Amino acid sequence: MDGSSHLSLIIDLSPSQWHLSAQSSNPHPLSFQTFLSHVLTFVNSHIASKHENTLAVFGALPGKSSMLYSSLDADSGNGNDPPADANSYRPFKVVNSVVTNNTQKELDLIGGLTEEPPVALVGALTKALCFINRLAHPPSGSLVDEAAASADPRILILSVSPDLAASYIPVMNSIFSAQKLKVTIDVCKVFGEETVFLQQAAHLTGGSYIYLERRDAFLQYLIMSFLPPPSLRHIIAVPRQDKVDFRAACFCHKNIVDIGFVCSVCLSIFCSPVAVCSTCRTKFPMKTLQRLNASRPAIPPANGVSNGSPRPPSARPSTGMSASLR
Amino acid sequence: MNSGSDSDSFDEGGLTTRGRKSKRKSGARASEKGKQKAKDQGYSWEATYARSWDTVQEDEAGSLTGAVAELLARGRRRRLLAPAAAIRRSIIRHLVLLLDLSTSMTDRDMRPTRFDLTLEYAREFVTEWFDQNPLGQIGIVGMRGGIGERICEMSGNPQDVLHAISERHKLEPVGEPSLQNAIEMARSSMSHLPTHSSREILIIFGSLTTVDPGNINETLSSCIKDRIRISLVALAAEMKICRELCDKTGGAFGVAMNEGHFKDLLFELIPPPAAQQNTGTGAGGGAAKMSADLMMMGFPQRLPDTAPAALCVCHAQMRAAGFLCPRCGARLCDAPTDCDVCGLMIVSSPHLARSYHHLFPVKPYSAVMSSQDATGSSANCHACALPFKTTPATNIGEGMSPFDRYRCQDCKNDFCTECDVFVHDVLHCCPGCET
Repeated sequence: MDGSSHLSLIIDLSPSQWHLSAQSSNPHPLSFQTFLSHVLTFVNSHIASKHENTLAVFGALPGKSSMLYSSLDADSGNGNDPPADANSYRPFKVVNSVVTNNTQKELDLIGGLTEEPPVALVGALTKALCFINRLAHPPSGSLVDEAAASADPRILILSVSPDLAASYIPVMNSIFSAQKLKVTIDVCKVFGEETVFLQQAAHLTGGSYIYLERRDAFLQYLIMSFLPPPSLRHIIAVPRQDKVDFRAACFCHKNIVDIGFVCSVCLSIFCSPVAVCSTCRTKFPMKTLQRLNASRPAIPPANGVSNGSPRPPSARPSTGMSASLR
Repeated sequence: MNSGSDSDSFDEGGLTTRGRKSKRKSGARASEKGKQKAKDQGYSWEATYARSWDTVQEDEAGSLTGAVAELLARGRRRRLLAPAAAIRRSIIRHLVLLLDLSTSMTDRDMRPTRFDLTLEYAREFVTEWFDQNPLGQIGIVGMRGGIGERICEMSGNPQDVLHAISERHKLEPVGEPSLQNAIEMARSSMSHLPTHSSREILIIFGSLTTVDPGNINETLSSCIKDRIRISLVALAAEMKICRELCDKTGGAFGVAMNEGHFKDLLFELIPPPAAQQNTGTGAGGGAAKMSADLMMMGFPQRLPDTAPAALCVCHAQMRAAGFLCPRCGARLCDAPTDCDVCGLMIVSSPHLARSYHHLFPVKPYSAVMSSQDATGSSANCHACALPFKTTPATNIGEGMSPFDRYRCQDCKNDFCTECDVFVHDVLHCCPGCET
């Protein structure tokens, strides 16, 4: 391993989801306190594995996102330096106290909301990308050294919230810019159902997506799967998931479709030929409707599960598919 | 098909007043054409020995930030010029790239030669074009020996297209070019396309003559009839017929002055063009309003690497990974493509999503000019947490903020220069608005 590596960690700080996760009716309850102590241990091992390694931590809070820690600004001494402790390694101490304090501060700011807005995962993701872009193009006169600029960057998302249908386009835009920046996006789904958006993010950027089955072993998952930087992953194999569904869901009924009808103007997807596009109000010519109706496949796609997201969870149909192929 | 008596030659009459490019007849030809160009760029044949390090000016502190800032400012201004209103763009594009492979391409006025430079830029162009137009298709036709030569069939796979222009020795320039033959060949390869897809021809033209079997104006009118948009980048000089081809079909015409300008002209044609409305006026009326349509598309099942290997229908090779056509079950290597068996258009949902940013662009940020505006808000860039300057910079380009602050009009957050460029050019969504 030659170069240093940069890790941008995105923590999902949704109070309601963490409350659900800590309930003892779950098979493996995981409280936020335990989670945070595991994350801090993981972060410390990232810093410890190479002296030049850099780190940034972002929090996705309900309705806003914020940067909790960045190793670029940490040394500037912004008032919350922990007191010197002879029994602990100073960089660990700094990271731990800054992340804990800032998390506490942000969670206090949320206050008593009656209704919790969805977490701003996209905001945190775009901020992480902007930060990596800043590392890749250091502004002249700054103190960023060469090692940080040449780091091979990755983003690790620790997600507990479900997919947000409205954020599909910004998530996809972020994925494509991550591809351009050659950033690997790893996803660890700590709690809740599988998210298709993040599965696609991990697949398209060459990262790994892991659904946490034994949540009491969270730290072990983190260390075994997410500690090796992408440059080492041809030697240290990390688990990846192979089954990713790229099928689309129609805009009209949210059915998963094999063959869809797409508006040429705005690329809306419909499960059957329609006369007028519901998104951009374009009228389609009669001739095509007749032609398409005539050439439609006889058996309409049957696996229509109606739910909220435009790309509904799809692990089941694709597992069935790959299993039958084997 | 040869340069016989029936061929149209534009050697003399076709040239406009700017005259022909010539190394023998040296001397500057100042003309009305030159005034439209940027003043600081010279024609490469007029330049003497270029010392590129002289053109970059250091500031008092000895750094090059001033020169870099000027480049950024130029990009910002261009973005602000873009129309704010929603415009309809052609997302499903079909492009035929016509490469001039005549002997005039061996000219060395562009380093190393026009031919080598064209091939190099064509490869970059194809890569970038497919990145921005994932649902598009490109075909390549060469012009040499007086005929049009099909180098690559219409294909939606960047690897196929790149492979076709990767072997230099198969494309050696020879003979005279024929615009008419090549355009007719490109036109015939796009004649089957549905009306909602754009049909475009991009010509990279290095010579000053064309050897045509018939009347090229008839070809031009049939292109107008077929709504083919012709754009041309000339490496030598402006020819009347070339400008006419572009003007009447609504395309862009440019004469490359040097290597950098050549690339700029080429890459300006990459973003999807606005779909042209029915204006009814003479110029640009050729490409009439594109009709909207419903397209049938298949969303394939991706096979894992562990699937049993089978022959693919596109290359007839044994492969494990691949995609299954949802209509006929054929195994395909890559998406997006057209199924080779049943002709269904195969795309995966990320390909559709890749085009969405053209449809929903980020609004340009406004530069923060006054100091009371700057002091009122956060001290760090909202995206990358870079601390802002507190003292205004003195020597800045037009349209640049002295505090390096650029404010989103929707979420009222401030961003630094680097993030402003990154958000608009790469990310396509505002970090402040998406929370």
